[in-house]
Amino acid sequence: MKKQCDPLMLTDDDILDAMQALQGYVDITPGTFKEIYSISYDLALKRIRSLGKAEEIMTAPVHCLNKEMSLTEAASFMAEHGISGAPVVDGKGIVCGVISEKDFLRKMGLPTTAGIMSVVGECLTVNKCLVSGLRDHYVHEIMSQPPISAREETTLAEISQLFTNHSINRIPICNMDGFPLGIITRSDLVSSMCQTV
Amino acid sequence: MNIFGKMKGTTQSPPRVGSSEVVWSWIGAFLGIALVGSFQSLIVDSIDRNLLIGSFGATAVLVYGAIRSPLAQPRNVLGGHVLSAIVGVLSFQIAGDITWLAAALAVSTAIALMHVTKTLHPPGGATALIAVIGGDSIHNLGYFYALIPVGLGAILLLAVALVVNNMAGKRRYPEFWL
Repeated sequence: MKKQCDPLMLTDDDILDAMQALQGYVDITPGTFKEIYSISYDLALKRIRSLGKAEEIMTAPVHCLNKEMSLTEAASFMAEHGISGAPVVDGKGIVCGVISEKDFLRKMGLPTTAGIMSVVGECLTVNKCLVSGLRDHYVHEIMSQPPISAREETTLAEISQLFTNHSINRIPICNMDGFPLGIITRSDLVSSMCQTV
Repeated sequence: MNIFGKMKGTTQSPPRVGSSEVVWSWIGAFLGIALVGSFQSLIVDSIDRNLLIGSFGATAVLVYGAIRSPLAQPRNVLGGHVLSAIVGVLSFQIAGDITWLAAALAVSTAIALMHVTKTLHPPGGATALIAVIGGDSIHNLGYFYALIPVGLGAILLLAVALVVNNMAGKRRYPEFWL
């Protein structure tokens, strides 16, 4: 856990090359630069984690699937919106699960580490369409549940911990009653680190 | 051409140093210049030589006030002063009749030589200039100028810097030797 948050290790050669790229004389030693870099990295991390709230970086509104949708409908819905996963809501509109490409792959009998190439490879060698098995099934059968979700005031530190602890890539942000307000993906979290400095 | 755009600057001035830094800079500079000055009256006066030259004031700024700077490291202090002194004397010998030409030649060549030898030290420019405009007492020294006062003075300032800067809890000196 600690290791993931260590600053990107710069070597002395990296810094020397960078100084050379600046052309002019730079009045700082590589050693001092490294110290400044690692201290400011820690400070930036602290600032982002202590200040950031889920609602500031979430994508809202969020595209939700209904748990009674067929997988065919779900797949075309996700394709249409260019998303690889979405929260699933029940009849009352409350988030009751999350569905992603991974859930589809699992249903097709592929390991969760599989990607599009496994599907292609499998289809070409076995010569039968794996996807046809998905017909006549419904979202609630394959979705991940109970959903791992967060509140709008959850800090980004906690969000990143949820991502790591549960090995998930997206997390729905819900209000007190469980209605979806937005969604945060891993890449949202990464880009939020590059916002205001 | 975006000359005026570039003139706006891109960032802000670095923060003010803490008060302990101010105190240590003062102590170091006081002791360093005091040592060079007293050496002059104790030893060098007997052989009629001027040990305290203007460029040492500038060296003091670096080795007691900006000690992390590459410009303030021993290699730069000693190398920059001695090489610039030689360049200065050479320039005076070549073009001493035309003071402005000798002065310009001394300073510009000193900078170029310090760049090439990785010994850039701003006070070196003053050391080179003094070799030209320092009057007869300097001119009479010839290349000896590079040893005394320049080399000896730089070594004394460095010695004080090594002791005083490492006495301060938050300081360490030098960053590198070679």
